[in-house]
This record gives sequence, C-alpha cells and structure tokens, in this order.
Amino acid sequence: MADDPFDFAGCLERVRQHDQAAARQLVEHLYPLVNRIVRSHLPRRVAVEDLAQDIFLKMFTRLEQYQGHVPFPHWVSRIAVTTCIDQLRAQQRRPEFRWADLSETEAEVLSNVMTDERDARPGEALAARELVHKLLAQLKPDDQLVIQLLDLEQRTIAEISALTGWNQTLVKVRAFRARRKLQKLFQELQGKEKS
Amino acid sequence: MNRFDQQWQKLTALARSAPAEPAAAAPHGFATRVAARAATAPLAPWAGFERVALRGLLVAAALGVAAIALNYSVIQSEPAEDFAATDAIPELLGIT
Repeated sequence: MADDPFDFAGCLERVRQHDQAAARQLVEHLYPLVNRIVRSHLPRRVAVEDLAQDIFLKMFTRLEQYQGHVPFPHWVSRIAVTTCIDQLRAQQRRPEFRWADLSETEAEVLSNVMTDERDARPGEALAARELVHKLLAQLKPDDQLVIQLLDLEQRTIAEISALTGWNQTLVKVRAFRARRKLQKLFQELQGKEKS
Repeated sequence: MNRFDQQWQKLTALARSAPAEPAAAAPHGFATRVAARAATAPLAPWAGFERVALRGLLVAAALGVAAIALNYSVIQSEPAEDFAATDAIPELLGIT
C-alpha cells in the first residue's frame, strides 16, 4: 500500500464535503483490503459482505477522528481488525473439537505433522490452512488474532501492537499463552486419535 | 524450541504455502449502498470526545484532590456525633 497511487487525501477531502462519488471510490478501492482481513480472521460461515459493510460504516462515521498520522489504509485495517475481534467475541463458544471434525486430508496433514513421518504432499497446503483455522477457532478471540497475525501473516510484534492497540509486552504474553493452549489442544487430539 | 513448537511451525509454514485467495472486488452495488447509508448515518456520538477524554479525567481527578485538600480542615473539625444529633428518624419514631 506504500506505493498506492490512489489519492487518499483528495478523496477524503471530497468525502468530507459529502461527495457520494468519492465515498463510492473509497469503498471500492479499500474493499479488497477489508475483504482480506475479514476472510483471514473469521470462519468461512460469517457473511463477509455484512461485516465489510459494518467496517465501512464505522470508517465513515469516525472519519473526523482520522488525523493523518498513519496511512489511511492502516487506519482502516485497525478498524477492520477490531471489528473482527468484536464479531468473534459475539459468537458462541465452539463445541469441543474432535478428530472427526477434520476432513480426511486435514486429518492426514495433522497426523503427519504430529509424527514427522514424511514431507508434505502437493495439495496439502490448502488442507493445512483449513486445519489451522479450525484449530484457531478453538481459542479466545484475542488469542486467535495474535496467532493469525504472528504465525500466519508473519507480522512483527511492533506491527501487531500498532494494528491492535495492545502494547508489545501484552502481544508477547498473549502469543505465549495462545501457543500453550494450542499445545494442549494438540495433546488432547493426539490422545483422542490413539483412543 | 520444543517438539510442539516445531510441529506448529511446520503446520503454519504449510498453511502459508497455500495459494493466496484472489483479491475480491466489491460486489456490484456494494459501494453505492454503503456510501448512501454512510450519508444518512450520524457521526459517532463520541467523535471528538475521545481526544479530550483523558485530559478531562485528569482535570477532574485534580479538582477532586484539590477539593478534599481545601476542605480537609472542615472535615476534620466536624465531630461524628453531629450525625446522630441531626438524625431525624429517632425523632420521628419518638426514640430518645
């Protein structure tokens, strides 16, 4: 986004003057970014379009608070991430995770990861991504978010801190706790597989 | 790095290697609908407040401390018995 040729300053100025065409341009330009954030942080069953609409409405209603200290897409990303956390918090807790919840390929991937038997086969990457999302869905929203950003998107602690508003120590603590919970989940799954 | 960390790193590395989903353009009519709703939506009621909220809280706390400090001598000088003397309930009930 750093080389984004889109004229945010000009567009925002026109949006502030109630220019509907500029508002449409802004939404169309930022939709892929918002869509990517929503899809990477929420389960597939969540209606992406509804949540994206909420995020854009928040963006417009808070536009006067944007001071220009950070690039506009970063500011919108933060709104999108916090809205995703709120959505995750509002969802009911998932039932107990079972080996039977996994597809055949996901179970194979997990078994292979746990036993270190062989290298991954082509085509297992998609199953691994689905599997990781299913595992993350068992964590608390804040834990899901920190692992998603750290281990899947490979963001730095500083970037996560800027995106979430949590201080860097809190990010590290949450990541540590989240990994310990995942470890426990792995152990439970291993026990279930054996039984 | 313990065994679980190695397993987790292996799994997430595999997940990251999955092809990225194509960037989706906004569905037809989405931007128009959102822009129209935004035009009628009121500004966030807390807009502007957030910027002064912390300062306001600090000023309120300072005023609170100053009020206690200025009235400390009065608080100290008033005996506790005054409450009992002015309590209207015993008088109303005829209890002396």
